[in-house]
Amino acid sequence: MNTVLKVTDAAVFAGNKQLVEPTSFELAQGRVLTIVGETGSGKSLLAQAVAGLLPDGLSATGVANLNGTHFDLAKPASLRPLWGRTLGILPQEPWLALDPTMRALDQVAEGHRLVRHLERAAALDEARRDLKALGVEDAEGKLPDQLSGGMAQRVAFAAARAGGARIVIADEPTKGLDVARRDDVIALLMKEVEAGGSVLVITHDLALARQMGGEIAVVLQGQVIEKGETEAVLSNPSHDYTKRLIAADPANWTAMARQGLQSEPILVADALSKTRGGKLLFSGQNLKIHRGEIIGVSGPSGSGKSSLGDILLGLIKPDDGVIARLPGAARHRFQKIYQDPPSSFPARITIGQNLDDLIRLHGLDRRILSALLKRLRLSEDLLQRRPSDVSGGELQRLSIARAMLLEPVFLFADEPTSRLDPITQQETVDLLVELARERDCAILLTSHDKALIDKTCDKVIDIAAA
Amino acid sequence: MTSPEYALPRATGFPVRRAAGLAILGGLVLFAFLPLLFGGPDPLKQSLRLSLQGPSTADWFGYDHLGRSMQARLSAALRLSLGLALLSVVTAMVPGVLLGVAAAWRGGIIDRFIGGISEAFLALPGLLLVLMLTAIVPDNPLMLYLGISLVLWVEYFRLTRALSKPLLLSPSVEASRLLGFGPWTILRRHLWPELAPMLVTVGSYGAASAIMAIAALGFVSVGVRPPTPELGAMMIELLPYYEEAPHALLQPILVIFLMVLALQLIGAKEKP
Repeated sequence: MNTVLKVTDAAVFAGNKQLVEPTSFELAQGRVLTIVGETGSGKSLLAQAVAGLLPDGLSATGVANLNGTHFDLAKPASLRPLWGRTLGILPQEPWLALDPTMRALDQVAEGHRLVRHLERAAALDEARRDLKALGVEDAEGKLPDQLSGGMAQRVAFAAARAGGARIVIADEPTKGLDVARRDDVIALLMKEVEAGGSVLVITHDLALARQMGGEIAVVLQGQVIEKGETEAVLSNPSHDYTKRLIAADPANWTAMARQGLQSEPILVADALSKTRGGKLLFSGQNLKIHRGEIIGVSGPSGSGKSSLGDILLGLIKPDDGVIARLPGAARHRFQKIYQDPPSSFPARITIGQNLDDLIRLHGLDRRILSALLKRLRLSEDLLQRRPSDVSGGELQRLSIARAMLLEPVFLFADEPTSRLDPITQQETVDLLVELARERDCAILLTSHDKALIDKTCDKVIDIAAA
Repeated sequence: MTSPEYALPRATGFPVRRAAGLAILGGLVLFAFLPLLFGGPDPLKQSLRLSLQGPSTADWFGYDHLGRSMQARLSAALRLSLGLALLSVVTAMVPGVLLGVAAAWRGGIIDRFIGGISEAFLALPGLLLVLMLTAIVPDNPLMLYLGISLVLWVEYFRLTRALSKPLLLSPSVEASRLLGFGPWTILRRHLWPELAPMLVTVGSYGAASAIMAIAALGFVSVGVRPPTPELGAMMIELLPYYEEAPHALLQPILVIFLMVLALQLIGAKEKP
């Protein structure tokens, strides 16, 4: 087997603080290496260090050996000539990676022309061939905003490797994608592998690692704790952390006890319909939510899951239909948990400030907050920080605490864990459900992960059924 | 392996530039207002005996063509410029910000109405508006003040509206509303912390352009009329004597330069 990329003792520092301990790995031609680990474990930093793309203020040490040439990772500028030619990066947000004013074919041809120095006509031919190979020849004359997510991703990918890059680094390629888009991305990367390219994938998604095959390296707190063939490691993990990671995959959860509650309904929706951007999301949607009931909504993104919840909360108006709420329940007892925890807190004040405002506004007891924090295993010190200085998992638990302070009767949890790693996800969902059960609070839970919904909810509803 | 060069953590705390700007501005303010406390020569008192006398150890600034104390005239002119600029900026900022928030909040017809008015002001060259007003009522600092404020408010309005609109649509504001918070909290906790740094920057740039506008109008003898000391007017008065007394002409130029430099330094963001 031919090693194309060999990284020795790559470490990342912020000033004198070591963020990633010296790590070594090898990537063979035509193979996949997946680095998995929880959010904040330093796996993204490792990839950025290898690509010479660390943000300002961070520095790396170590050596990368690319096709026999040594590069010092401490000098990111020396890696720059490799960009596009040897190293390609699969953009996370394809729409942001493409030039909105350029047609797809020209964007791809640009790489052939400017990086490989082909003539204009030859570059266009090559670009056309690339798009065809990825099955998006229709995209040729389109501008990025006319492309669907999957198409944009493929065009961006074609553009990223037009310079001839055969080593592709994909950082969280499936973050926040629904199943269909995920499969698209995996197929795209696998195609590259079949064609003899090498792929380095950074993810917290074990299903992705399993589908990609190849080799896997598990990172915990900046240290590789386990590596080997993906199949072997995942079916027979030796490290405790890897075992926990596998157990945290929603498919492996033990289903929660379903509760068949027939108490009073707190929310009754009758014949709701909603169109968005000319597309009918759902019509004639009926829904009855009882106290303490956990209802799941699953479906691809754009199917109207969030719209349904927002309508129930009164945040957007339905085109048609009526909603009746439990009489006597105050408006603020209908709450929402957001997908992206940092964006649900005021950015420039401390979390404690936000919660104190809330306590003052509703005349609550400060001790309830302390009890909730303890219950959610959150330290009081977190309250002194701003949302940007708290990890996603902790922040999501803080937002659960914030909602629970108001003793809600209904909670709309909109993809509450899609940005979290599996272990944190399981912890968060468990706590959310536990607290809701205790307080007799109903939850409408949406997720693109069908397993998560099936294992967690008392009842699963289907939208878009006209 | 080469020894690693650790990146230094980025400097936090008060930016050096801003501190330098504040120091210069502080010096100018002291120079302008100390004579009010301790007394000094009358800026209008002529003494032809001293005409165009250069700086000396007894008097660091010398005298102008009519033998008036340059030091007294400069500090009086600074008081006028700084005071007028500060007043115009505050007068422009308050309604600009309030209207910007209102437009972003209410949207629709209100947004379009205020937006239309702001664009009408924008279509008019700023200095022309001030010129027109000062032509209607000459030799009245009030008109200068009014004209400059009318030019400046548009920027606050547009920036506030542009910053507030996405914020008001963001999940964090939606969450706050769901939690029961009223408009006051949203203004204080969501909008104000985002707007305040912008206001410092735009405010100091606005003050700098107000000072330049006052001086430019003085220079073309439209603004404040002689004998009131004003930096632009002083320049044009002293221009004929640039050969005999370059020091006199250079002084108001240097003062304007320092003032604008200080304000630009205060407004500038530290580059990463």
